[in-house]
Amino acid sequence: MKISIWGEELAGWIACAQLATFGNEIIKAGSALTPMQSSIRAEPGLLDRLQQAIDSGRMVDADLADPYSADVHWLAVAPGELDSASEIVARIAASGRRNVLVVSQSNLGTGASDALQARLDTALGQHLVYLPDMLQGGQAMRQFAHPDVLLLGCEDEAARVGVTALLRPFTREGTEIRLMSRREAEFTKFAITGMLALRLGYINELAMLADHVGVDIETVRDGMSTDPRVGPHYLSPGCGFGGHHFTQYIEGLAGLLSQTRGSRLLETVLEQNEHHKELPFRKLWQHYHCELRDKRIAIWGLAFKPGVATVESAPSLRIVDALLAQGATVQLHDPEAQQEFRAIYGEQPQLVYCDAPYDAVDGADALLLLTAWPDYWSPNYTELHRLMREPVIVDGRNVYDPQLLHDLGFTYYGVGRNSH
Amino acid sequence: MSRDSCWRALRQSAHSLQDTHLSELLADESRFDTLSFEHDGVLLDLSRQRFTPDVLQQLVELAQASGLRDGIDALIGGARVNHTEQRAALHTALRTPADGHVLVDGEDVIPEVQATLDKMETLIATLHSGQWRGFSGEAIDTVVNIGVGGSDLGPLMACHALEEFQPDAARSIELHFVSSMDGSQLSGLLSRLNPATTLFVLSSKSFTTIDTLANAATACQWLVDASGLEREIILRHHFIGITAQPDKASEWGIPTQNQLLFWEWTGGRYSLWSAIGFPIAVQIGMAGFRQLLAGAHSMDRHFQQAEFDRNLPVLLALTGIWNINLLDIHANAILPYDGRLAHLPAYLEQLEMESNGKSVRLDGNRVDTRTCPVLWGEIGPNAQHAFYQLLHQGTEAVMCDFIVPIRRYTDQSPHLQEQHRLALANCLAQARVLALGDHALDPQQAAAAPPWKRYRGNQPSSMILLDELTPYSLGQLIALYEHKVYTQAVIWQINPFDQWGVELGKKMATEMLGALEQNACDHDFDCATRGLLERIAARGDRT
Repeated sequence: MKISIWGEELAGWIACAQLATFGNEIIKAGSALTPMQSSIRAEPGLLDRLQQAIDSGRMVDADLADPYSADVHWLAVAPGELDSASEIVARIAASGRRNVLVVSQSNLGTGASDALQARLDTALGQHLVYLPDMLQGGQAMRQFAHPDVLLLGCEDEAARVGVTALLRPFTREGTEIRLMSRREAEFTKFAITGMLALRLGYINELAMLADHVGVDIETVRDGMSTDPRVGPHYLSPGCGFGGHHFTQYIEGLAGLLSQTRGSRLLETVLEQNEHHKELPFRKLWQHYHCELRDKRIAIWGLAFKPGVATVESAPSLRIVDALLAQGATVQLHDPEAQQEFRAIYGEQPQLVYCDAPYDAVDGADALLLLTAWPDYWSPNYTELHRLMREPVIVDGRNVYDPQLLHDLGFTYYGVGRNSH
Repeated sequence: MSRDSCWRALRQSAHSLQDTHLSELLADESRFDTLSFEHDGVLLDLSRQRFTPDVLQQLVELAQASGLRDGIDALIGGARVNHTEQRAALHTALRTPADGHVLVDGEDVIPEVQATLDKMETLIATLHSGQWRGFSGEAIDTVVNIGVGGSDLGPLMACHALEEFQPDAARSIELHFVSSMDGSQLSGLLSRLNPATTLFVLSSKSFTTIDTLANAATACQWLVDASGLEREIILRHHFIGITAQPDKASEWGIPTQNQLLFWEWTGGRYSLWSAIGFPIAVQIGMAGFRQLLAGAHSMDRHFQQAEFDRNLPVLLALTGIWNINLLDIHANAILPYDGRLAHLPAYLEQLEMESNGKSVRLDGNRVDTRTCPVLWGEIGPNAQHAFYQLLHQGTEAVMCDFIVPIRRYTDQSPHLQEQHRLALANCLAQARVLALGDHALDPQQAAAAPPWKRYRGNQPSSMILLDELTPYSLGQLIALYEHKVYTQAVIWQINPFDQWGVELGKKMATEMLGALEQNACDHDFDCATRGLLERIAARGDRT
């Protein structure tokens, strides 16, 4: 089959690699032939497989082949890119091509797939199915190749047959396909994302409480996850979740709940998350008795999560704003996101951009760890202690061992770990 | 012409008009055109006043003979017009643009006025950006203004009036006002507020006002208890002091960086234009606050420059003089037909009655005319269900000020626009009936009504019509009344800027507090006081 794959989401790249393996001709439309984002590049097995597809000629870019000549279109655009999705679909319709299947893996909100379908010409056999993106970073290749269950939003028999045939190489081991309407599939995806946000919100609330009752939330979390009804996923306390897509997606759901149901449930989670992003600042503020003027503060990690170069909705933005407003000098390091951060903040006398993590802590009155980049997990503590003016560490991601740091002479603040 | 001959001429006119009903005056078709006046979007209609254009001319002559022109120049020029306290009254300087100059004792005050505005702007920007942090490091989201009198009424009135002009950045901040010395407003509020995110603004010109300091002490203790931190840290992050006595504020513990200053030459009831207006800026932003100042400044220039016979504040004042001193009317109702102006009557009560509630002239002699009448008021449509009965059929002659904007809800639902039209219709109808009485009806129909359904009419009223209520037009409106008050004070030859009448009671209260605390009754007290103290002592410690 000739398949055009649109968008730069993880799901699209995984589809490129996996579908190419089984003899499909892939046209990667609207981007380069390999992903830019480091978290996607780091996906185990992905780059090798893409390279094989490119080398074998089974994957080409849109300069070599017309994307609208394909039989199948795979849409993996980011939330908020409904307009570009609409444009692609409109051009597919305008091509007048018969029996075109569009597989959407884009989280564009409930009703978006129906809206896209409406732009297609059903008389010509142009159909859109919605296949919710359930991939988790780190295991995406395996999950795509061996799904236990697939949810499929599909309202046309020919389209069902088409998509089932396309996915047959991956479903031979008895994958269950749950068929539902496009709208139901979208809502299911929505509901899962909301549930994850609630879990994060809940564990962060518990972390706050843990500080008050004198227990270590990490120990509690470990205990919680032994209950199979709870499980281990999405239970890591930290200084708030960021990322444009996730936040925007939850905001959409929160807005829908509050407008149509008057429910504040998810809005509260979002508000608390914003509040939580400033937690490291508050710990620091209290440590220094509400006075941070002329303090020198090191920040490790600006990206909203490890593996990405973006700072959208990241806790680092709020914390740097707060520190600047209090008259502190901020020494920053991030392995990848520094450039984007610099584009927003520019050069300021209170901001020092550092190329190496140890440059950032030089002479610092505290170190705030905001992103759990692997580079930061096992620092040279002796060096750290030597370089810092005051050995104060605020660990926004609970990556360090409180006891160890205490023994090494650091003052340590984690999230929900006041018991140490 | 001398003042005396002006008064004589006016008395003569009053005598000849005494039997003329307003309905007869209003029969003159040109009356509205002759007796309504406009400046920069504000219309003052005096055609329902019980005078003729000729009388208004006589009143203008009285103003001239009273030295009003010099009086205005003295006020705005920074002369010591408040002679009992030997100081200027320069609320007009507070709204003079940065390129202006006002000299007090040879020194230009405008640079320091502008410096305070700049400091306000910095503090407001910190608050609005969410970067004013409380003791926990959380952003301040609640501001409580603690002040009384001028430090309360002005900001409260303006904040209520201009709520819809809140910029987005200000929406995250909730604003409260606390004034009563008994703590009843504060105690209820503290139980609902989060100490970590609450900032208190202490507004006191002298920083000795007991009402304010008592509330402030309670608030400070509440924060110390909640935070477990030292008072000094709490004061640094949770208190702003607005005062003309920085030493006193420092002594109380407000750090210099949290002090906003104004000056001895700013009277309390004229102070909303100064740093006392900080809560207004919290609500509507500095740009909005500067609009308020600009509106007032427009009225200041008009007051100083316009001929008296088309000078709005002067004409409003002269209308009052006519009603009070020549028609013997001693009640003035303030009737805004707009719920946003709910606190305007209370504000004007203070402005007028504390300013001109005087009976000693500048020369130390007792006045020989009546001065400030009793003012009161209420949102018009609500007052229609309360005291309008007295206006229509009671025995008291009352002059009314109707205040209403023409446009409202222009970008909102047609239903709300209809509600404003309803208010406007009521405003116009009430003013008409008060003036005409039964003459508004068909004569036969009126004559057939039983006595209790008859309307006397002949109650005079002024109509102040704003195009719309904005920070700018509110500034104009308040300045209009301020200058009205000053004009009347010049004609009555009294000092509108002191308030000695309120001092003795404060002093007595201090003595009385001692008596209550010690359960001791001083035999110098009068028998009524003694009797009450004894009963309180006997029953006070029962629970």
